Amino acid sequence: MSGYMGKVLWVDLESGSFLEETIPEKTYRDYLSGMGLAAHLLYEHIPAGADPLGPANILGLVSGLLTGTPSLFSGRWMAVGKSPLTQTWGEANCGGNFSLAIKKCGYDGIFFKGISKKPVYLFIDHRGIQLKDAADLWGLDTSVTENTLLERHRKSRNPSIICIGPSGENQSLIAGICHDFGRMAARSGLGAVMGSKRLKAVVLAGARPIPVAHPQRMKALCRKPAKLTRFRIPFPAQIMALTGMLLRNPWIEIRWDGLMWSGILRKWGTVGLNQTAIEWGDAPIKNWAGTHQDYPLRSSNNLSPRKIAKLEDRKYHCLSCPLGCGGIMRQQGESQAAHKPEYETVMAFSSLLLNDDDQLVYEISERLNQAGMDSISAGGTVAAAIEWHQQGIITDEHTGGLKLDWGDGEAILTLVKAMIARQGIGDLLADGSKRAAERLQIEDHAAVVHAGGSELAQHDTRLDPGLALHAGVDPAPGRHTSGSFVYYNFYRLWAAFKDLPRPPLISLKKHSLIPSKELAKRAVGTAMFTNFYNALGICMFGAYLGIDRLPLFNWVNAATGWSLSPRDYLHIGHRIMTLRQLFNIKHGVSPKDIHISRRALGIPPQESGPNRGNQVDYPAMRRMFWDQIGWHPETGIPTQSVLIDLSLDDRRF
Amino acid sequence: MAYRITENCRGCQACVRPCPTQAISGERHQVHVIDPQRCIDCGACGRVCPFGAVLTPAAELAQRVKKADWPKPLINHKTCVSCGLCIQICPVSCLAFEYVKEGSAARGFPILVQPTACIACGFCANICPVEAITMRAGRATPASP
Repeated sequence: MSGYMGKVLWVDLESGSFLEETIPEKTYRDYLSGMGLAAHLLYEHIPAGADPLGPANILGLVSGLLTGTPSLFSGRWMAVGKSPLTQTWGEANCGGNFSLAIKKCGYDGIFFKGISKKPVYLFIDHRGIQLKDAADLWGLDTSVTENTLLERHRKSRNPSIICIGPSGENQSLIAGICHDFGRMAARSGLGAVMGSKRLKAVVLAGARPIPVAHPQRMKALCRKPAKLTRFRIPFPAQIMALTGMLLRNPWIEIRWDGLMWSGILRKWGTVGLNQTAIEWGDAPIKNWAGTHQDYPLRSSNNLSPRKIAKLEDRKYHCLSCPLGCGGIMRQQGESQAAHKPEYETVMAFSSLLLNDDDQLVYEISERLNQAGMDSISAGGTVAAAIEWHQQGIITDEHTGGLKLDWGDGEAILTLVKAMIARQGIGDLLADGSKRAAERLQIEDHAAVVHAGGSELAQHDTRLDPGLALHAGVDPAPGRHTSGSFVYYNFYRLWAAFKDLPRPPLISLKKHSLIPSKELAKRAVGTAMFTNFYNALGICMFGAYLGIDRLPLFNWVNAATGWSLSPRDYLHIGHRIMTLRQLFNIKHGVSPKDIHISRRALGIPPQESGPNRGNQVDYPAMRRMFWDQIGWHPETGIPTQSVLIDLSLDDRRF
Repeated sequence: MAYRITENCRGCQACVRPCPTQAISGERHQVHVIDPQRCIDCGACGRVCPFGAVLTPAAELAQRVKKADWPKPLINHKTCVSCGLCIQICPVSCLAFEYVKEGSAARGFPILVQPTACIACGFCANICPVEAITMRAGRATPASP
């Protein structure tokens, strides 16, 4: 046993009992750890048709196989379970230091089943496992909860905490799980699952080291990526907007190198892309119906990387990350130091809503972190509400007299507060835009930009159709991190797999819009690779370096003592992806019924802007993807031959 | 795998205090026992035992070392990538970030904030992915960042 801890902990919240399960080595060889191990266990243990907010659903918190080994970018943990938002496989990925904390307690994952009769939190240290009363914590914001628990367990060594805020307690279907005062496992509504179980927090204070088969070999492998991540981009922030303008053309596409992106992350964090994305056509404007002309430079200058950098007090590194794309803001006025908002939050509450008040964006970012609400879904939902109000689909009667207008910061803040408190129309919107449309009996769903019920992130699928494809075919729909054609370029998989195509440095943009077998191959490679590295606890920003620069396959072999080939590991990624698909099928979700909004596909196409005329032939792309990955091209159900190939043919569904 | 106490133990309890996980129990003047479920193989018990009564997981006799000679982490901030693994793996929380100005913001580099709390386990050096930490006897002073 090396690299992994060999055990998971089951917590039955109903009875308050604990069970340690030893996981056989074969399971690790078949599924690795992290998301792979979670898929293996949740497929077996969540009964078909389970209510995501009922006792039969299981909330898993999993580490990664490489976490705590001498490797880089390996500090991600994941929350997993059946999503109440999409009714599919649900997952949310987060950094901080919680991934190592799980392993230091001697586990690769902690799984919660049942529903507690009263609010509780889990505490583990070297003395044992305890479920403790959380009645006094229920109702508290996330930072207050963390501070209270830190004070309560101040004698513990390096306690690591995750918790839900009022949104999770209120079972808002867009609630996430908060960590380290502002990191968030936000997507899939898993904060609501935690809230439904009356589990307020998890405090881990174990001290076990992680066994590693060949530590010196791992360290030697770190030299190259460590050197590369010291790369400092040689240009000032002002050039980021200009870059977006230069990229804004309808003809030519450049194969980006992720190394440049690493430099941007190191210098400014994800907000380094703010203005580039707006000018390029990557950031959706005005609920995906506008263009950069609706949100010109004079608006986006308030959110320039330079301006945000000036407010940054210190860099925040997630565990084992050499980049440090996060940041802690300088204390402003009476407010406490807060995490620097991420690109997704900034865009969701600026360009998407035509708001150019940067202070408002910071305030909303912090409020959502304190409430434990997903900023991507919250922004998309507010955008839909404004559009409905502008079109007269919802009236002042619905909003309680609140006038919703594009760029009206005060109204946006009021609406966010109402969503957090589940008051008035906020109660409807707190479950996301698709549910709100259904409850308000809005027939025209054009303003709801989602895949499978989960709001799409701030990357325009009409610019990179791969984002649309992955957001729809991934068993956890609506996530921008599951893949895209640009990510394929970053991952540089062709360097390890000769059968995967190497895109040209410069190509015609229209090629990425025309479904082809080559694009399907790229997407399938990306999907398998993403599933593989999500089992390792690897950050996607690390994976951006490319597989020839980040030695993931060799790290796993050195950590575990195995000698598997890159092809073997991609095969495991294929197995995890397919098992997650089987999870959905077991729960009665028909893959072909997971829809993506027409607006996100360019139906009808935009008449101006960088993405004018772009239409994504999603059904054809999906058919080719399913065919290429070995799932039935019309139904998305894995074929018997691929199930046999992946040793999944014994799974009943 | 865990450390083990042999019959040579006189029950002096010298090992009880430095154990970071309170894994050692026993009455004074009686042979003590290490709970293998709690032991994290830090070796602190072996370094303090005056009677040669502690065996390593490899069943070798642990050597007593005078506390002043315990190796402590020497951290090269030029090599360090601020990943924080050393701080988080430390079983006695004796490392912490010290922030150093880099551009408009500051970046954290680990320093030994509680040298007397360090138990010389070497977990920090073992986990450091970029070999920025070496365990050296004597007073640890980090290289200038």
